[in-house]
Amino acid sequence: MRNSYSWLIWALSASVLTLIARNPLYVTLIVLATWLVYLGVSRETPMVGSWRGLLRLGLVIWLVTIPFNALMNHQGEIVLFSFPEKWPLVGGPITLESVLAGAASGYALWALLFIFAAFNLVVDAAQLMRAAPAFLTQAGVVTTIALTFVPQMLASAREIREAQRIRGHRFRGWRDTLPLAMPLLTTAFEHAVQLSESMESRGLSGELTGLSSRRLRGLRAAIAAGLLLLLFGLLLRLAWVPLVGDLMLILATGILVYAFWDMGRHVRRTRYWRQRWRATDTAIALASLAALAAGLVAARWDRTLLAYAPAAGGPLLPAFNTWLGLAFVLLATPGLVLQAAEPAEPDTRDRLADLPGPETGR
Amino acid sequence: MITLRGLTYAYPGAARPVLRDVDLDIPAGAFALVVGASGSGKSTLLRAINGLVPHFSGGTISGDIRVAGRNPVQRGPRGMSASVGFVFQDPESQFVVDTVEAELAFAMENHGISRATMAERIEAVLHRLEMSHLRHRRISTLSGGEKQRVALASTLTLEPQVLVLDEPTSQLDPEGAEQMLALLRRLNREQGLTVVLSEHRLERILPYADQLIFLAGDGSVRSGAPREMLEAIDQAPPLVSLARRLGWHPLPLSVEEARSWVPPGGYVPDTRDLGQRVVAPGPVQVAVVNLGYAYGGRAALQGVTLEIGRGEMVAIMGRNGSGKTTLLKQMVGLLQPAAGTVRVRGQDTRSVPLEELIRIVGYVPQNPNALLFADSVREELAFTRRNHNLPATLPAGLLDALGVAPLVEQYPRDLSVGERQRVALGAILAAEPEIVLLDEPTRGVDREQKEAFMRYLAAERATGRTVIMATHDVELVAQCVDRLILMEDGRCIADGPVREVMFAHPAYCSQIGLLYQDGHTLTPDDVPGGAR
Repeated sequence: MRNSYSWLIWALSASVLTLIARNPLYVTLIVLATWLVYLGVSRETPMVGSWRGLLRLGLVIWLVTIPFNALMNHQGEIVLFSFPEKWPLVGGPITLESVLAGAASGYALWALLFIFAAFNLVVDAAQLMRAAPAFLTQAGVVTTIALTFVPQMLASAREIREAQRIRGHRFRGWRDTLPLAMPLLTTAFEHAVQLSESMESRGLSGELTGLSSRRLRGLRAAIAAGLLLLLFGLLLRLAWVPLVGDLMLILATGILVYAFWDMGRHVRRTRYWRQRWRATDTAIALASLAALAAGLVAARWDRTLLAYAPAAGGPLLPAFNTWLGLAFVLLATPGLVLQAAEPAEPDTRDRLADLPGPETGR
Repeated sequence: MITLRGLTYAYPGAARPVLRDVDLDIPAGAFALVVGASGSGKSTLLRAINGLVPHFSGGTISGDIRVAGRNPVQRGPRGMSASVGFVFQDPESQFVVDTVEAELAFAMENHGISRATMAERIEAVLHRLEMSHLRHRRISTLSGGEKQRVALASTLTLEPQVLVLDEPTSQLDPEGAEQMLALLRRLNREQGLTVVLSEHRLERILPYADQLIFLAGDGSVRSGAPREMLEAIDQAPPLVSLARRLGWHPLPLSVEEARSWVPPGGYVPDTRDLGQRVVAPGPVQVAVVNLGYAYGGRAALQGVTLEIGRGEMVAIMGRNGSGKTTLLKQMVGLLQPAAGTVRVRGQDTRSVPLEELIRIVGYVPQNPNALLFADSVREELAFTRRNHNLPATLPAGLLDALGVAPLVEQYPRDLSVGERQRVALGAILAAEPEIVLLDEPTRGVDREQKEAFMRYLAAERATGRTVIMATHDVELVAQCVDRLILMEDGRCIADGPVREVMFAHPAYCSQIGLLYQDGHTLTPDDVPGGAR
């Protein structure tokens, strides 16, 4: 079983780098690194099919957003053609720069989707939820259920669609959604009730133990207060008084971390699988962090190094720095590790290797 | 193990209690069967054992209940989860995580059980339920029977003393159901687990049960040894009702017990002409030639060839996943052949639009909930007629034939499973199709509702309508159907008159058929003196 944490470090590093480096050359390096991972896992999981569909959809959306950006954004020198100025929004010159800028940012967004897909294929969602810290157990359970619930509802929707079709139902207007929506809604509701009954019966309500109800109320109030502070802090920081906003954000973070930590101590929970950290995990984490550090330092030092902004007066052709490029290549380490390794089988050794050794979530 | 004293419970807003002043004792190690009509409170009683009632349902409860020395009303389902395991009817909606092993571990993780113990228990449960090979499988890829086994296993990991099951086999094929019950019996005999379960098809479970709990429907509960109870109540499988009519004492509960009453070779048929119950079929309505179909590369139908004539009543049986539903969907045009052809009244389904096919063919899916959406039963039926551009007045006698006439103004979703099933049937029949396809029409339906359905089928036979149904219900087929088709792995392995096919395939033979094994006796009505 792969370690969720090392792969999370890779996925986060790659995503942050994609966000700060809009330069399509660097983004291409990230996409190639992700491609290696994708190839490595695509042999072993049936989930590839559904992600492939989503990636294709992402490509279509990308292609659609290019003309959209070109129509809305009229900056740039090289005019391809013009719409009359009096046309609202789209009126004005349509420039090559805005076409290129739209293409580049769409590309970066698609790269993010691709990283997310590859990460999901490598570490399945349920495994990730199991690795969640104790205080997030409840949120983890909810997410896990949602992940199994959605495909079941899609299947129900198909079944209902078929059933109504053979009754002669045709789709002509919004009123015709009722025969489809109503059964789906009630089916989803009944399913949810049954699942919660089943979970209750197995003691899965995720209760906190050894926590007085007064203290629990206090903690909940603290979380609510922390979230409110967070919201106001962000608003203040953006709009009026940045310093007070920053202070509020720090305070809010402190409150939330304490409340979650304290709740986490009271979740009595053990883990069946222990995630093992292997040498390859160290390699994945170090390489990813090194690439991230290089990207962050470069962005801090000279913004133009990673940016690509033809519409804002930058060069039309993206710049490329060889050293920085080499740093981005480090993101390919996990893909290479995958290519070298055997396809991952569910491994009983992971479970039995270090028995006995109860690890509680305290 | 389980003691109820003066237990009375009413759902919130209910006019009268569903359980009234119930006294009941279920000793440790018992195998108790709970029977009663739909809505008589079977599920309520079972849910009270682990505290889902009243913790989940609300309502008012009085009296006393003790399970393994604990009070479920006080402790709630979570507090009872280590003593009582609960398995539900629907194999689909009981799981939280994606793989079998993770699902088994999940409940234990939440109970804070040490990793070493978890590993031990999972190993033990997988071994005991003979499902080690399923360990790494994704739950979504399992069959219904396998899923129920996982649901059972995941409750057993908490090592409960009592196992409660709410119609655990109603959605399984006969073989899957048989395996599940054999497993329960083994857990009961070998591990001393107290088992309490409800079930509509008594014939499956009676031989195993040592206590029978009957809910009369008025809130009262009676309990006793199965043999004595069966003398007193109206719920009985075909074998028991035959024995009662012929005065066999003590009442046999299984085919084995009944053997001594039967003359070797069965009854001599020369006194009555049983014949093969075959209506001479009219012109061909459905012709399937060399039909092949696959879902995403997995073959679902292979080389199926058959012809069904006007006025025939045909059953299709076979294990889950053997291709029954796929075949029905091909006949209504929801799916189109990958190989071969399907012709409905001479027209190739590939060249006729679905809108035209559904004027001739009506298809009632397995799950009536997929169909029902309107505010009233009347509105539900009118919707179909409008879609088919038919006048609003319903065909005469339809509501009565289906037994839904008293329900026309009710909200369909509030009805019982059997009633919903019949409203769904009505919603399809409202278009007056010549051919009716039924997918599992008696799933989750109690005896009375099943009898109403059989009366309807008999009436249909008289009108000359063609009825084709996919079903697991052996007794239904033995009583109402002319011709039986068996499917296996997408192939048609037998096709002929019901008697011929049933006696050649004992796994699909009725109880009475298994008892007589004489090639013609299938139902109590076939036995001289056995008819009502």
